[in-house]
Amino acid sequence: MDYPLIVDVFFVLLATLAVVSGWRVFATDSMVRASFFLLVSFIAVGVIMILLAAEYLGVAMFFMMAVEMMVMAIFMVMFMMNPAGLNPMMMVHQHKFSIAAGAAVFLVLATVALLAEFPDSPLPADLDPVASLGDELLGDSMLIFESAGIVLLTTMIGVVVLSSHRGRYGAADEGSMPPGLVPGGDPAGMPEEDDEGDGHHHCH
Amino acid sequence: MIVSELILPVALVIGVLVVGAYLVAVLDEAIAGAIGMPRGGSAWLAPLTQGAWLLTQHANATEAPDWQAWRLAPALYLALAAIGLAVVPFSPTLIPTDLVTSVVLWGSVEALATVVIFLHGWSANTLLALIGAYRYVALGLSYILISMFVLIGVALPAESLQFSQVVTSQEGLWNVIRQPLGLPLFLIVGLGMTFWGPLNLADSRDLAGGTASAVSGPPRLVWNLARAAMLVAFSGAAASAFLGGWLGPWLPGPVWMLLKMLAVLAVLLLIGRLVPRLQPERCVTLMWVVFLPLSFVDLIWAGAAAFFL
Repeated sequence: MDYPLIVDVFFVLLATLAVVSGWRVFATDSMVRASFFLLVSFIAVGVIMILLAAEYLGVAMFFMMAVEMMVMAIFMVMFMMNPAGLNPMMMVHQHKFSIAAGAAVFLVLATVALLAEFPDSPLPADLDPVASLGDELLGDSMLIFESAGIVLLTTMIGVVVLSSHRGRYGAADEGSMPPGLVPGGDPAGMPEEDDEGDGHHHCH
Repeated sequence: MIVSELILPVALVIGVLVVGAYLVAVLDEAIAGAIGMPRGGSAWLAPLTQGAWLLTQHANATEAPDWQAWRLAPALYLALAAIGLAVVPFSPTLIPTDLVTSVVLWGSVEALATVVIFLHGWSANTLLALIGAYRYVALGLSYILISMFVLIGVALPAESLQFSQVVTSQEGLWNVIRQPLGLPLFLIVGLGMTFWGPLNLADSRDLAGGTASAVSGPPRLVWNLARAAMLVAFSGAAASAFLGGWLGPWLPGPVWMLLKMLAVLAVLLLIGRLVPRLQPERCVTLMWVVFLPLSFVDLIWAGAAAFFL
């Protein structure tokens, strides 16, 4: 294959960046930093994909991972007892199992990389990667990708409905109560209260 | 070959960014003066004076900041502005980087800007900067989707994800007329990604400067410069996507392009001075309930127009 030496130089630099930032994900002490080290690692891989002439997939990697890591950092901060993600925390757990699993996966992948027979079919120079990817997505594999797309869309709508400020039974900041079975009646489906009270629940 | 493929594009991008950022500051100052805001000195000198003053100031330190991220964030934001401008075509031949997926790369710049602005506020380890950072994420995640749909809309008639093809596809009719919802929605994205004027949720006055509240000296200068530079890069993307880029009679292509960028900047800066800042909760509601559905309408419109015309 005929390409300038600078491509090799950039590949080595980017591969090193991807591996080192990938290692930093586990060595750092903060959820936010870990997310963004992972983002750096993915960006380095994205640039390598552009070097491999996968121009759409490489660039798509940038924005997919940027949004994804941002959302992941926010969700981790929301779910952990760690105010705003500022407190230091250990980013790894189950050390022995993780080390064994990591070593095993590395061995398998390295074996595949070394022993597999990779196809040697150079692409024509005038191949348009974006158009051929579009043909694949909306051609023979359309059913698979569209099904996955619909599932993802359903998930997203579900998440928005679940986390919406305006819930089914009122605004989130007012506290919500299901409506009664009869107009003005007690909220339906509530557990029996065993502490003292007049039996009439507070409802809007 | 080195000159045409490396030095010329880099010089072009840096030149346009620096001169453009200066003009943004001057225009903003002039608009503020014209609508009667108190200001001192000449609009041409004020940005330079302020820049020189910041350069001589001490860079502030907070208690236990994330130093690397805090110092890198302004530089990364500036670098993103440069990457964004690097895919904007100035004429059929004068294109710093003619990537076949340049529209997608512009989308990535918008997404990565969210990360960098969040990091700027988060890493300072102070309250108001942190609130600004989290507010910005809410805004950033809202405008990215609008931007995606609007940009897919301009890619449809061009049948390409390349800005130069998008410009060529507007030879008959500019996208600003062909897709009337596109440019207004895209301007909202521009105000969002530079958190300018009505969408200044990150560095707003009610947070005493938000993500930049604890930043002084040279890092503050880089941050201010990067915001203005991002506005310039955005005006380049908007001019190519909706105003026909280099297309126009009599004048040479690059001149048309610069004029259109200036027009977009003037509109954005006017909006920035005239429209009050939105409350964060209302802003997010407005984005998801009004502007996002409008961007669907824009995309359907663009698809129908590309199909039937």
